Amino acid sequence: MTSLVAQEAPAADSRPPVRQVSPPRAPRSRRGGRAAALWPLALSLLVLLLICCAALGPLLRGSAWWWVCAGVAAAVLVGAALWRRLGVPRPIVPVANVAVLVGILTLLFGGGTGLLWLIPTPETVGVFGGLIAAGGDSIAQQSTPAEVTVGILFLLAGGTGLISVIMDLLAVTLRWPAIGAAGGLVPLLAPGFIIDDGADIGALLAAAIAFLLLLRVDVYVRRTQEARRPPTGPRATLAHRPERQRGPGPVGGALMVGSLAIVGALVLSTVAPAFTAGGLVTARPGGLLFGSGVSPMINLGQDLRRPKAGPAFHYTSTGTQQPYFTLLTLDEVIGLTWTARIDGADVRNTVDDIQRPFGLDANVKTVPASTSVVIEGVNSHWLPAPARATSIEGLTGRWYWDSRTRAIASVTANTLGQEYTVSSLELKPTAEQLRRSSTDYPASVLGNLQLPVEPPPIIEETARQVTAETTSNYDAAVAIQDYLRSSDFIYDTDAPVEDGYDGGGVDVIGVFLQEKRGYCVHFASAMAAMARTLGIPSRVSLGYLPGVKSQDLEQGLGQYNVDSHDLHAWPELYFVGIGWVRFEPTPGRGTVPNYEQAADVGTPTTTPGGAAATGAPGLSPDRLADDSALERGTTPQSVEASNLLAVLGFSALGLLLLLLPGVSRRILRRSRVRRIRSGGAGAGLAWIELQHTSLDHGIPTPITDTPRAFAGRLERLGILDPASTEALERVLLALERSRFDRSPVRADTLAADLTLVLRRLHGGASTGIRLRANYAPTSLFATLTAVLRGDRRARTIAP
Amino acid sequence: MNLKPTRSSTDSSRAELASVPSNDSDTMVDLSELQEAGRAIMRNVETVIDGKHEAVQIALTVLLAEGHLLIEDVPGVGKTMLAKALARSVDCTVGRIQFTPDLLPSDVTGVSVFNQAERRFEFKPGPVFANIVIGDEINRASPKTQSALLESMEERQVTVDGVTYPLALPFTVIATQNPIEMEGTYALPEAQRDRFMARISMGYPDPDSELAMLDSRDTHSPLALISAVVSGETLRDMMLTARGVFASGAVKEYAVNLVRATRDDRDLRLGASPRATLQLIRAAKAQAALNGRDYVLPDDIDSLAVAVLGHRLVPTSRALGHHHQDSGPVIDDIVRRILADTPVPVGVAASALTRSVPLVRAVGSTGAS
Repeated sequence: MTSLVAQEAPAADSRPPVRQVSPPRAPRSRRGGRAAALWPLALSLLVLLLICCAALGPLLRGSAWWWVCAGVAAAVLVGAALWRRLGVPRPIVPVANVAVLVGILTLLFGGGTGLLWLIPTPETVGVFGGLIAAGGDSIAQQSTPAEVTVGILFLLAGGTGLISVIMDLLAVTLRWPAIGAAGGLVPLLAPGFIIDDGADIGALLAAAIAFLLLLRVDVYVRRTQEARRPPTGPRATLAHRPERQRGPGPVGGALMVGSLAIVGALVLSTVAPAFTAGGLVTARPGGLLFGSGVSPMINLGQDLRRPKAGPAFHYTSTGTQQPYFTLLTLDEVIGLTWTARIDGADVRNTVDDIQRPFGLDANVKTVPASTSVVIEGVNSHWLPAPARATSIEGLTGRWYWDSRTRAIASVTANTLGQEYTVSSLELKPTAEQLRRSSTDYPASVLGNLQLPVEPPPIIEETARQVTAETTSNYDAAVAIQDYLRSSDFIYDTDAPVEDGYDGGGVDVIGVFLQEKRGYCVHFASAMAAMARTLGIPSRVSLGYLPGVKSQDLEQGLGQYNVDSHDLHAWPELYFVGIGWVRFEPTPGRGTVPNYEQAADVGTPTTTPGGAAATGAPGLSPDRLADDSALERGTTPQSVEASNLLAVLGFSALGLLLLLLPGVSRRILRRSRVRRIRSGGAGAGLAWIELQHTSLDHGIPTPITDTPRAFAGRLERLGILDPASTEALERVLLALERSRFDRSPVRADTLAADLTLVLRRLHGGASTGIRLRANYAPTSLFATLTAVLRGDRRARTIAP
Repeated sequence: MNLKPTRSSTDSSRAELASVPSNDSDTMVDLSELQEAGRAIMRNVETVIDGKHEAVQIALTVLLAEGHLLIEDVPGVGKTMLAKALARSVDCTVGRIQFTPDLLPSDVTGVSVFNQAERRFEFKPGPVFANIVIGDEINRASPKTQSALLESMEERQVTVDGVTYPLALPFTVIATQNPIEMEGTYALPEAQRDRFMARISMGYPDPDSELAMLDSRDTHSPLALISAVVSGETLRDMMLTARGVFASGAVKEYAVNLVRATRDDRDLRLGASPRATLQLIRAAKAQAALNGRDYVLPDDIDSLAVAVLGHRLVPTSRALGHHHQDSGPVIDDIVRRILADTPVPVGVAASALTRSVPLVRAVGSTGAS
């Protein structure tokens, strides 16, 4: 008897029930298939990359860019997994990834130029080129945290996509996950080389955890694969060969990862145009930025066009009026552009004692003023200071003043973080004094009369025309100023519609006088050029407007805040006996110095904006009605908009997290039913699904229940109708036959039966239970905890 | 007192029976036929025993599984009636032994008597030489006599005077005993109880069944009315078929887990033996066959565990508590608790895949080259 059983049993025993499910899997796993997709690896790569991208946060404003990067990275990595799932050959996958990346970028940034919005055309390439250039410029001119323009966004998205392609290539295709992860370390380390604080320590930690997770997942995947296909013989695929045979050894690998990351971040941060703290002036290797050859006006225009102003500095002043802060003065037209002539620092001209301005008569009224400045965001070798400074205290580093333009500069130090006090003279000439000023110019200012050999004739024509009825230089200057501030001219920072218009070159002035559209650079240089055609020495100063009075009580009411939108250019004309006198031809910007009433009122008038108010008695000097203030009116909206975007993003994220369990459960159920229907899995999976659904609906599924007992319990619940009861019994029978019979019998209606029972289970439950089953499926968490705990059940029942 | 065996089978038929385990498919009956025959026997028996479906079913299962049945209950509930009805339903030889304290082993196995005419000893087979042997009040016999029967039960042969006589197949002992009346009895030792495949208790009938019984027994004994519904040949074929029922690894593991659990249980002094595991599976196969299945379900194990394991277990005195006389209910509760605590091997497919990974790896690393 005993021997009989022993004879019969082995044939049946040696077959574990698991095998009954697996046969369809074997042929597919050669190429493509679920196993080839390596989902865990792809997803952990994605997590790592997203965390690393988030580390760029301190460098950039807002969070919308992250979502774009996340989308691109997800598209590439998930796409790669899909390619593998579909069985695309290994060498083709990176190419396909690049194609996906290009397609996504075309879709997002191509602006519809792509074929079917996806396939780039030559036009798209042009658009991309423009975006890259714009992004590079944008990075160069902005300070941290930088506003994310479309160009920057394009660079970010493209870079993220490229990194994901490389990561996928290294980590999944070549199976060097540690080296692949180095790609993610590049954005992680980049902040460290750009800003002092470096990346957020939390982001670093999270990235480290994600990195370890990636390695763990890789080991897990590798083991699973080895288990499925033991690496025997030369036919074993590349991906499953032991690590020892391929790739660097453990120490070499670690060194390689580390050096790759560090070198990559170093190269990126130096090669890429760096963000800098501060707006106008970028400390680049090679000396002062505003040296000859580079027109500062162009940079000024770019800075004015920044979507959001960054703080530059704040100050308190004892003067009767809020001063313009001069950074530097452009007094020569070399070739066609205004440039600052750098004589080199004269070490005798220390800033603790600056000479009284040259050519200032004693009878011209001057008021001493003291201005305390705290620099926040200006990084420059030029010091913003009120005109006619007589001494500066509190500076660190060695600063010198230029004996000709009186601009204050340093070769070695820069302005960032400086706190200093400037003593200066406010010039209060009367209109009468200005009118009486002679034309007997000293030799030192004769250079300020020079113009290019053949300036556009329109400059002189316009100047003559405007000043036809004036009798003195001063009246002529006021006439030009009034003309430029008239309603014919429109202030527009976006004026450089074509290349080369940005800036104050002499030829540009010609265009400007016809177009009658531009911004301070154009107005200032136009007035200066027109003055020179009339024989009045002139120069253009670059600097900051007085800013706005602080509304913050904590900062004190006397404090004025200046931001990057207060960057300005204005012309100064030379009057004998008085010196350089400021004019304000830009409509809507700054204060128009009104020397007519200076004697009576003592304060310059302000113009709320536009030419209509020209010469009108001013409002209070505090309310500087420049159009950057107007712009500020719009910035809150954009701030709100971006806040709204963030709120939307976070709610979307929250919603996503809330929906995640339910959605994953649903996907799991779908895929199970699909596998059952396709014959890829049998009744065992159907039963698991049935038990999980029961769990979701609060029906306990004790492991000590036999299937029949469990089915009996389900039937006794009373929610199954006759049809679904029959279906349940068919499922049960199929399970029992697959588990306990010699060979499983293929049940064609299994998927349909299962679906019927599941529907009935769900439909028969109360609303609360249905909600719970939909959004907080217990089985998912039960499975998770089982997996985390090492799955005791599996151990006890594994055959 | 002793019913002499009516020997229907000749020597030749016995030889044929001995060759039966060659497992010819011709001799196997179809599952549906088996199920039908089983039902017929059930119906037949139930005309005699009212309302004891479960006991009858287990009795039939044990018969089909070639095991021995111990019916243990208070007097007068139909133990003997069940045994006799079951025996009569099958057309085969029936032996009946009424155990008494003075019964000798030779009264069970048979004796060699001297034939004066032929001047040699001749073996006179005892009542044990029958297909179904009813041993009534088995605990009244002396241990010596009991063991004579029990040896034949296990080894299916009788050795008298150095000559071994094989017993006919099928051979099933249906023994009854009375647990209450302990005076002058020799309780079966644990080792010998282990020989029985299952122990069942009849229990008192419910009021309706008792009423019906009064009516049916009014004029005549219903036992006289029943006749054989299955031939001995068919029964053998049925046994073979039942033996061929498939028990999967999972089910076997379940049985092993159950039995092992009885050995580790804190309330049990003695757990079930490996023979118990064997017989549990065998009984489960028979039950599956009776249900028309050619594979065993864990449910078969569940439904038979109490009957198959119960009489083999010895509870600790603490668990026994005040049940000094009858340990049956305590044991049954313990077995049911173990049943409820033992995981059923189902749902392996998904999780076993990952679980089995290290195993497969170990195989791959050692056996790859």
